Amino acid sequence: MHDPVIALEDVRVTYRGGFLGGTGFDALRGVSLDVAAGETVGLVGESGSGKTTLARVCLGLLAPTAGQMRFAGQPFGKLRQRRGQLSVVLQHPEWALNPRLRCGRSVEEPLVLIGVPAAERRARVAAILDQVGLDPGFAARLPGQLSGGQRQRIAIARALITSPRFVVFDEAVSALDVSVQAQALNLIRDLQAEHGFGALFISHDLAATRYVSDRIAVMLEGQIVEEGPAARFYQTPEHPYTRALMAAV
Amino acid sequence: MTARLLKTRRLDGLSLFGLITLGILLFLGIFGPLLPLGDPTRIAAGPRLDAPSPHFPFGTDELGRDFLPRVVQGIRATFLLSAIAVAITAVIGTLLGLMAGYLGRTTDQAIARGADILFAFPALVAGLLVAAVIGPGQVSAITVISIATLPLFIRVVRSVTLGVAGRGFVTAAEVAGASALRVMLVHLLPNVMGAVMVQLTYALSIGMIIESALSFLGLGVQPPDASLGSLLRQGSGYLTIAPWMVLSAGVVLSLAIMSVNLVGDAVRDALEPLKGRPLT
Amino acid sequence: MSRAVVDINDLVIGYDTGTRQVRALDGVDLTVFADETLAIVGESGSGKTTLGMAAGRLLPPEAQVLGGRITVCGVEVTQADDPTLRQLRHDRLGFVFQNPTSALDPTMRISRQVALAMGGRPGSQAIAELLARAELSEPDRILHAFPHELSGGMAQRVVIAMAIARNPELLIADEPTASLDASIRARVMTTLGKLRAESAASLVILSHDLSLIARHADRVAVMYGGRIVELGPAAAVLDAPAHPYTRALLAAAAGNEEPGERLRPIPGTPPVLAGRAEACAFAPRCLFREARCEAERPEARAFAGRDVVCHRAEAVIASDAPPRQEVR
Repeated sequence: MHDPVIALEDVRVTYRGGFLGGTGFDALRGVSLDVAAGETVGLVGESGSGKTTLARVCLGLLAPTAGQMRFAGQPFGKLRQRRGQLSVVLQHPEWALNPRLRCGRSVEEPLVLIGVPAAERRARVAAILDQVGLDPGFAARLPGQLSGGQRQRIAIARALITSPRFVVFDEAVSALDVSVQAQALNLIRDLQAEHGFGALFISHDLAATRYVSDRIAVMLEGQIVEEGPAARFYQTPEHPYTRALMAAV
Repeated sequence: MTARLLKTRRLDGLSLFGLITLGILLFLGIFGPLLPLGDPTRIAAGPRLDAPSPHFPFGTDELGRDFLPRVVQGIRATFLLSAIAVAITAVIGTLLGLMAGYLGRTTDQAIARGADILFAFPALVAGLLVAAVIGPGQVSAITVISIATLPLFIRVVRSVTLGVAGRGFVTAAEVAGASALRVMLVHLLPNVMGAVMVQLTYALSIGMIIESALSFLGLGVQPPDASLGSLLRQGSGYLTIAPWMVLSAGVVLSLAIMSVNLVGDAVRDALEPLKGRPLT
Repeated sequence: MSRAVVDINDLVIGYDTGTRQVRALDGVDLTVFADETLAIVGESGSGKTTLGMAAGRLLPPEAQVLGGRITVCGVEVTQADDPTLRQLRHDRLGFVFQNPTSALDPTMRISRQVALAMGGRPGSQAIAELLARAELSEPDRILHAFPHELSGGMAQRVVIAMAIARNPELLIADEPTASLDASIRARVMTTLGKLRAESAASLVILSHDLSLIARHADRVAVMYGGRIVELGPAAAVLDAPAHPYTRALLAAAAGNEEPGERLRPIPGTPPVLAGRAEACAFAPRCLFREARCEAERPEARAFAGRDVVCHRAEAVIASDAPPRQEVR
């Protein structure tokens, strides 16, 4: 058995209080979670439950106060050493892309950072745009000329262009219209089957999460209160909080 | 951006007036020396303190110099000095603002506190101090204008940066392994330029006021060169017998500052079309 | 049927974007009856927000009424003067917006804001009672709070309390739970529904959330391309859609699928109308289209207990092709 791409072991994150060091705030209170290659783990919970903090830990943007985060069996180290190995797709299609950069430049940026030559970059941008269902002509457009769904496709293309081992989708489809959301969810499923990355799919929307995930973890107040195969979340989940979430589906 | 300015139908009469006035003044300031207006420093070009006439439209001063080319020279000096000062300040202020907003923590503390201190410092006191240290003249005028307008740029760029830095594309670049320098130059700088453009015009009008005030006090442009401020000072001695000197320099100075402000407002409206509109 | 609170007749509204005209509503006919909950559902650009805002004449300045009439509580709002409109909005309409924290004034204590919404000089007892009706658990504490001290759910309940303060005849709620956490959405909607029922007001919900609507609305109006394409009882429309767009929307929404089933997105993109649509606006994306759909503008007709704007409604409702397909 291979090492999981991401392994969290009893991770705690405490935000310091005011600058006088007043009471701190425990955003994560002992979270253990694995994401295997080719697997999507859904993470649901409401605002303030700690999902975004957990995402920042998994992306190496935030060091845990206590506990361990391992990437493919190794200590995570510095973000710069992990160039090209992980990426993120975020909420707000209108903010996902730099409005001043042509889409092609946004998509190729991760390749620039790992030093891929320009000719190869162009070919790979065209190839990934094709995979997310966009014409290569989109590379020359500015984000302002795109619809929300198209922008989110560009953001997905940027996240996958280096063939990363781990991708975080943080509320990646929440702001999209119903039919566009279905396209994006199908796209994420298809691309994962093809690229085999491990994924953490974070959302407050249980319906979308269970559709795209293999396993689901439910967060409440900095802890995982229920974890299990996605199929269970079509039936009767155990934790009362999860049942409250089900009521909204 | 001009195209965008003209495209928006918010370009009302007032903005148009500002744009045209500013255009004329800039034309005079830039091409003044090439125009057949006469030598601004030639003494006894005509009678002393002669009232405006077809030959000397703005009259003459106490040394018989033609006042029209002197005012044109003043426009040039006032605009040029303020523009140089504001351009230098904008570059420094934008970089400091980006660093404060993006790097945060101690960098932010240091830069933001520094800007507060500069902001609290009265420009005229600074002018007296600088003039006392490095002597009156153009360099001290530029220094004082920079001190007065630097906090404007730092504050605005910092606050816009704080907003932009939280957006998805910045996080995505960080996760992809982009350095802080790259994030600031590629992702943040282009997105704060709009705010910098708006601030530029306000800083320019403040710079012109400070330049005029310093020259009026004799701390800025030195004779025989003229700026609008030094012409005001020169004319103030003859206010009762030759009011055209103060009038011509004063009216031109007011027009200059007003037109810069009007154009600044138009730029702001063009860049932030949603501001100030009623909620739907 | 009971009395009409809102009566909209062949309403056409366009937005002047400076460079071109965009038609947001392309001939809408709609009646909202007293004491009912009507949901208007559609994706962005369908015209649902324009329609909702038009009822209170709360449209942005670029919007132009190009034709038709809107009568709200007996007032013809396209022609009414400002004082009449103000009085209408103030006394007979209540609004609940998507984001409760921006609907409340951050500088004012809750008690004062609610008092202003109630009008006159209500005592704190009356204010607390109103908040309690909106099912806020500790009304006395909330009275003295500022908006930023409240959670999103509490703030939205305060907004709801303010909206019903003057017993309006019509409540308009634009995505009332979209900014709230999923686990409390159902309860906030239940409160809104309960208060509506108590005051026998009409409630118009604008939302893209089909499951929310299924549970809380009496009737559903589905909008596409600036028109209401299907209008009828919620159960009928959502269980057996007669318009291909309603059907496609249900097949695309996550939440109704079985494990392993694949969602079916609607191909193509919604139209941006420059003028009156002379054919069916959905035809380019429609699985049921035939030559007529691209040549002739469908008009509303009564069919299977609802109004539907489709030449092919019989084929749509009879089609027993599964609404979803199996996954890979």
